[in-house]
Amino acid sequence: MFKKKLLLVTLFLSMNIYAQTQRIEVLGMVCAFCAQGIEKSFSSDENIKDVFVNLENYFVVIESRDGKSIDEKYITTIITDAGYDIQKIEIVSDSVSEIREKYGAN
Amino acid sequence: MNKGILFLITLLISHKTIIYAAPMSFKDSVTSMTTISKNYSYLESSYAISSKDSFGININENKGDSYKLKAGEFFYLRRLMRVNKINSQTNLWLFTSAGMVNVKKNIKDDDYLFLSPTLQFDYETKRVFSLISHQIMRVGNQNYDTTKIEGGFSFYETTYNETQPWILLKTRKTKTVDSKTEYTPTLRFINKSLFGEVGVNLDGDPSFHLMYTF
Repeated sequence: MFKKKLLLVTLFLSMNIYAQTQRIEVLGMVCAFCAQGIEKSFSSDENIKDVFVNLENYFVVIESRDGKSIDEKYITTIITDAGYDIQKIEIVSDSVSEIREKYGAN
Repeated sequence: MNKGILFLITLLISHKTIIYAAPMSFKDSVTSMTTISKNYSYLESSYAISSKDSFGININENKGDSYKLKAGEFFYLRRLMRVNKINSQTNLWLFTSAGMVNVKKNIKDDDYLFLSPTLQFDYETKRVFSLISHQIMRVGNQNYDTTKIEGGFSFYETTYNETQPWILLKTRKTKTVDSKTEYTPTLRFINKSLFGEVGVNLDGDPSFHLMYTF
């Protein structure tokens, strides 16, 4: 039992240490003209390696250059400055390019 | 190019109204737009200091059968409310503009200072768009209030990088003695930073609208 818990804790910690892609579910993101502000802001940040906006499923994914997660307060500022609200931020194991490929070349 | 320079260039070349579409973009962005048609034309540029506030300049011309208004104005745009849902966006905007307007009506030709508020409400999803706005414009004891109602839809959703086509019906009425409602079926195209519209009103007069965010 202890080993299982240890394993789970280790897995959880390792996900957070090595995870570099964050998926942000955005409220109100209904057109590309509006959503471009999100892409432009994240793209201009040198700490962010890649950005992918998916209108169909209302999410944005960002990948950091240094393998560390981007601060959620900073993400929230970018999204709200673009006029939107955040429903959820989560760490995902896929890279942005893998997610882009998964959802098509949009 | 620096956004401030872009803004200034747009101001310098500004030449010609009153009606606004998706009026502002994200913080620190410059949004420039123009509409050209027989009865109204404008050119404007604005800078968003936050996601809720922007300042800009607008030069416009608005005419009917017996009048013509030419105005140059500064405006402050405030987003009073936005409701973001997973698949929709609802906004309430307040434009407050002030400037100089030249009114030609019958044999009169006068200049006036004016202060004009506009309230705009819009609702959109990825397939449906609707807007209603009312501008209060009183100059020289005359009422030139303008009301707009627009609605339309897109046949299909597009991905972020694709161009999305829309079909809309725009109605516009300026309250004057000879006022009539103008109906303009319009095609809209949105591709990220570029927003374009082409319409022809029921009298056969074409109109063009272009908006770009830097």
